[in-house]
Amino acid sequence: MNGNPGPILEVRDLHTQFSTLDGVVRAVDGVSFDVARGETLGIVGESGCGKSVTAMSILRLIPPETGRISSGSIKFEGEELTTLSEEEMKRLRGHRISMIFQEPMTSLNPVLTVGTQIAENVVRHLGVSWKAGRERAFEMLDLVRIADARRRLDEYPHQLSGGMRQRVMIAMALSCDPQVLIADEPTTALDVTIQAQILDLMIELKEKTGTAIVLITHDLGVVAETTERVVVMYAGRKVEQAPVEALFEEPLHPYTRGLMGAIPRLDVEADAAGTRPRLQEIPGLVPILTQPIIGCAFAPRCGFATDRCRSERPPLVDAGAGHLVACWEVDRVRRAA
Amino acid sequence: MTDAPVLQVEGLVKHFPIHGGLLQRQVGAVRAVDGVTFSIRRGETLGLVGESGCGKSTIGKVVLKLIEPTAGKIVLAGEDVTALKPGAMWTHRRRIQTIFQDPYSSMNPRLPSGTIVGEPLENFGIARGAARDDQVAQLFRRVGLRPEAMRKYAHEFSGGQRQRLGIAKALSVNPDVIVADEPVSALDVSVQAQVLNLLIDLQEEYGLAYLFISHDLAVMRHISHRIAVMYLGRIVELTDKRTLFTQPLHPYTEALLSAATAPDPKRRRQRKKIVQGDVPSPAKPPPGCHFHTRCLYATAECRVTDPPLLEVAPGHHVACLRRPVGGDPGPLSVP
Ligand SMILES: Nc1ncnc2c1ncn2[C@@H]1O[C@H](COP(=O)(O)OP(=O)(O)OP(=O)(O)O)[C@@H](O)[C@H]1O
Ligand SMILES: Nc1ncnc2c1ncn2[C@@H]1O[C@H](COP(=O)(O)OP(=O)(O)OP(=O)(O)O)[C@@H](O)[C@H]1O
Ligand code: SF4
Ligand code: SF4
Ligand SMILES: [Mg+2]
Ligand SMILES: [Mg+2]
Repeated sequence: MNGNPGPILEVRDLHTQFSTLDGVVRAVDGVSFDVARGETLGIVGESGCGKSVTAMSILRLIPPETGRISSGSIKFEGEELTTLSEEEMKRLRGHRISMIFQEPMTSLNPVLTVGTQIAENVVRHLGVSWKAGRERAFEMLDLVRIADARRRLDEYPHQLSGGMRQRVMIAMALSCDPQVLIADEPTTALDVTIQAQILDLMIELKEKTGTAIVLITHDLGVVAETTERVVVMYAGRKVEQAPVEALFEEPLHPYTRGLMGAIPRLDVEADAAGTRPRLQEIPGLVPILTQPIIGCAFAPRCGFATDRCRSERPPLVDAGAGHLVACWEVDRVRRAA
Repeated sequence: MTDAPVLQVEGLVKHFPIHGGLLQRQVGAVRAVDGVTFSIRRGETLGLVGESGCGKSTIGKVVLKLIEPTAGKIVLAGEDVTALKPGAMWTHRRRIQTIFQDPYSSMNPRLPSGTIVGEPLENFGIARGAARDDQVAQLFRRVGLRPEAMRKYAHEFSGGQRQRLGIAKALSVNPDVIVADEPVSALDVSVQAQVLNLLIDLQEEYGLAYLFISHDLAVMRHISHRIAVMYLGRIVELTDKRTLFTQPLHPYTEALLSAATAPDPKRRRQRKKIVQGDVPSPAKPPPGCHFHTRCLYATAECRVTDPPLLEVAPGHHVACLRRPVGGDPGPLSVP
């Protein structure tokens, strides 16, 4: 490819809502971001901030009975996804955009062998013969370094360990050479040594295949070690976005700073045995998404908040070198470093 | 910290029978805990860390005598409680309390939270009626909840607040030891920080001993004084936290530390020694050293000989054939 082909995925002012007995949940409340070809973008934030709903919106997997994309645009290779029919989406999913989830058992069919499942995906999307599909399944299991891949083709998901199932999910997700892989907490349920294996595998395969990865996680360590750019979400909104080094070097949003101060660290020099420095607490709780949020969503918990923060929503501004932040008081925050 | 241990565990074994075949005869056993020895002093946190299924929760349950050990000895505040039947155990129950990962599942949804927290006070005959309500109100304040919240039901609290309820309940009977099994694993980091800070404050105030179970090394390093690393039912390394993180001696500890992620992009790709393969099943642990199937440094002897947990340096216990008492603490060579 020559020239500047532009981002593979463009999300603009996405709003996704659910109708519940308690009212309308504004799960995603005006989120925009791009995914460049071949990059690894991290989306990070605490439970309920809208990470999974963002992913489900891109894949158009929001349950239609209660939820809907109420406004905004999602473009994949320049093509608008929000208006595609379910048939057209089916042709994209698992083919050009694919996904892996936290719990592979929810997306693997328990009554089909893993070989059959991967082969089916390949046959359906690429229109190859069943035999070629099986062969592709074998290659993929081998690629994700499942030992004895030939034999594993004929095993059922329950016969595999958690780490192996996640490898199978990755094999299936990559089986049709997607341009974008959306991975929602892919290692959260795994042990640390297995998590390290899977993260390394994802990065290695990304470099080999050029697939862009959107990695969704609540774990700042996983973000730091695997992504190139990061979007930080809070209460359905994007509050900060930066290249990964810049984000960890100088987080600019008070919420991001709070998160980083709240995690116990392994990498800082150990204190004299016995002393236990206090962790920084973020006071209060996340807002309830059924109630309208006026001004900055973080204001009730923010030490920098002013009256303006409580009445006007802060716009995202570029603080330099692609570091975006939505905070009225960013200059004060910076000086308070 | 005084030196007499409030909790001692010696050679603890817990096997769960596996039944199979038409007659559901016992065909094997899950060796969940396979000979574990440790002690905890007043005011001390001993961390138990290790991957899923290595036996951490089982140790917690046996120590609480919620399940009976297959072998071994449990000494609580100087008294051997191993053989005590539930009735006789009752009077000791006050001394050892527990905090769970998910306090919600153990709370009656139809009772107000104040009643739930005050339950042990009633059960142990410590306080009733208005006196109990007073004590519960104090407990609520101590863990950072408003006493007015005593009227609310468990489902009306957030995850972090429920964990505070669980802590208040455990605290109510003034125990010596608290077994905390993944108490912050289900919480968001901002709330996790609040709960960890609270647990440390309470420990310093009341001299509580914690048996703190977690799979999160960073949390472990934050809260513990000493840490025991487990692998397939056994402790493979036990030492003070500073030594564990700066001079780990067991190959499995080294593997765990290098697999852990850190919130620092500059550190990426520094992970050199990622162990390959899965954890074997505790129903069929490998012979010899349980870790030999994944160990970079395994020798032929490791496949046949069980490494005992030895004090290789003062206060530093390691179960590895290649780490003898007084041996060179430098890196091992790959055979
Ligand atoms: N089907 C649904 N019906 C109603 N509300 C929903 C539905 N799915 C999600 N929500 C709400 O939308 C918000 C965002 O949820 P989402 O699953 O995206 O969070 P998340 O950031 O992925 O959190 P976690 O880290 O816990 O996975 C939450 O408040 C959630 O309760
Ligand atoms: N009641 C039981 N019956 C049979 N096997 C059991 C029982 N309880 C636990 N086990 C087995 O004993 C082993 C140790 O389990 P345990 O719950 O102690 O692990 P753990 O270290 O707490 O793991 P996790 O980090 O996943 O909580 C596992 O293989 C488990 O399947
Ligand atoms: S806009 Fe105001 S309330 Fe929001 S993060 Fe910035 S300073 Fe805090
Ligand atoms: S005893 Fe052998 S296999 Fe076990 S940890 Fe030591 S070197 Fe590795
Ligand atoms: Mg989610
Ligand atoms: Mg457990």
